[in-house]
Amino acid sequence: MASSIALVSNYVNLELRRTFRDTGFVIFGVGTPVLMYIMFTNVGGGSGGTDDWAVTAMVGLAAYGALSAGLSSGTAVAEDKAVGWLRQLRITPLSPAQVVFGRAVTGSLMVLPAIVVVLLTAMIVNGVRLDAWQWLVLTLLLWVGSLPFTMLGIANGYQLSSQTTNVTNIVCNLALALVGGLWFPISEFPGWMASVAKWTPGYRFGELGWNTTDGEAPSMTGIVVLVVWLLVFGAYAAFAYRRSGRKA
Amino acid sequence: MTTTHRATPVVAFTGAVKEFGAVRAVDGLDLTIGPGERVALLGRNGAGKSTAISLLLGLDDPSSGTVELFGQTPSHAVTEGRVGAMLQDSKPVSRVTVRELVSFVTRTYPNPMTVDEALELAGLTELAGRRADKLSGGQAQRVSFAIALAGDPDLLVLDEPTAALDVEARRLFWQSMRAFTDRGKTVLFSTHYLEEADQNADRIVVIDRGQLIADGSSAEIKHTVGSSMVSFTVPDGPVPDSLAALPGVLSVEVVDGRVRLRTSDSDATVSALPGVVTPRGLEVAPAGLEDAFLALTAHHSGRDGGRPFVPSASSDSAVQTPKAGA
Repeated sequence: MASSIALVSNYVNLELRRTFRDTGFVIFGVGTPVLMYIMFTNVGGGSGGTDDWAVTAMVGLAAYGALSAGLSSGTAVAEDKAVGWLRQLRITPLSPAQVVFGRAVTGSLMVLPAIVVVLLTAMIVNGVRLDAWQWLVLTLLLWVGSLPFTMLGIANGYQLSSQTTNVTNIVCNLALALVGGLWFPISEFPGWMASVAKWTPGYRFGELGWNTTDGEAPSMTGIVVLVVWLLVFGAYAAFAYRRSGRKA
Repeated sequence: MTTTHRATPVVAFTGAVKEFGAVRAVDGLDLTIGPGERVALLGRNGAGKSTAISLLLGLDDPSSGTVELFGQTPSHAVTEGRVGAMLQDSKPVSRVTVRELVSFVTRTYPNPMTVDEALELAGLTELAGRRADKLSGGQAQRVSFAIALAGDPDLLVLDEPTAALDVEARRLFWQSMRAFTDRGKTVLFSTHYLEEADQNADRIVVIDRGQLIADGSSAEIKHTVGSSMVSFTVPDGPVPDSLAALPGVLSVEVVDGRVRLRTSDSDATVSALPGVVTPRGLEVAPAGLEDAFLALTAHHSGRDGGRPFVPSASSDSAVQTPKAGA
């Protein structure tokens, strides 16, 4: 068990170095949601920092940043598959389960910078104020809640070719963020679309954060919906990994 | 360490078959390799070498038959850290230095070399701080080699390790490999360079169309074919077709105006020659490994009645197979 943890953390260590040296990923992954947040809350309407919108948008865009970062794990997986690195890993003592688990841990650590930087921007630029416990719980929930998207990204990476993975991840990214109301609140959607949105992981992910900023406990329905999506995407990842092994 | 496992073979293929649709890439392979052997898996492109290696490493499962490493399933032996491998067509991963990569690999194995030792064996000491994806082809190949040996595995498997290398890089590579095998490790490498098999293996296993067609030392393989080369020039007139029908003659070849008869009985062939031609500059030489290999695979193809065997002869040579001529 102890040696298993050492093996996985050795792998996570390698993958984290590789990810954070990808300056393009770091800049776009963190920069995009931050820039969108500043624009959404300061350009046009000019609605300043004190109102609800600054808080709603903060949660929405921190969630969006986490969602994108989670999905982007898949791009790294697809790249590793293309150069034969996944195949090479299979002939090291690391078990397939350890490789997938290590990749999921790496992916979930990669979502943290986007979350933290968006929250800091809201605090500094728009003067958003929350209780200390709210900041803490918000960060934690957005972090843990992003796991389904990391799983989806990884699954796409195992399943698809490098180029197809990129396109698929972008489509998933836009669809989940838009339909999930992470950019524009679903209260402004037409009725039918709002009811569809409530079944998507994007919306339920954002809801974890909105509940927290409202000072409420996370909705049970929301958690159940997210867990179901996590299981679906996790099964997809396991299936895709086995399939990639057979072919690769 | 390997001595404790002398009773169990390192590698054991038993009737292994791998089918891809209608194609049998590996077709009933039986092969046992003991500790400390250095074995070359020799065959043409598409002979089934890489598929056999995938089965050996547990990357693929046989359609029927079994493949065992150290008496266990391949994936079990891999998880125990007893195997290191260099795969074909693998490119270095991005955004890591050579040292970081090798050090990662050493930490996945239970009894690894030190990082410095692995780097030195692979000739990478000078390049340790460089990004692995910013190296030349030959340097990248050495990184793959370092990854394969860094765990100090009992069995090292190399799939066409020198395919992308120039002559000098190839020489350096085999030098590094000998330094590793001198530690008493078991090595299996695939190649289609006969010279490499001859020089770097104690045992040569020839496969063609997924089947084992010869197995032994390079001397034994040459002996199995039992052929020698009788060569001469024919100054007056054309080369008669009837040469192919002379006793012992296996094939007739004309290279640069010189007739080359591969024969299983050089004495009989030479004494029968005057009845057909007047040879000049007659030479009799034992066949090289290349000739042995061509003979083996040609026979094999012929017997199956499949596609004719086409050797990679230079454009100025003409080849006749005896059966076609007779």
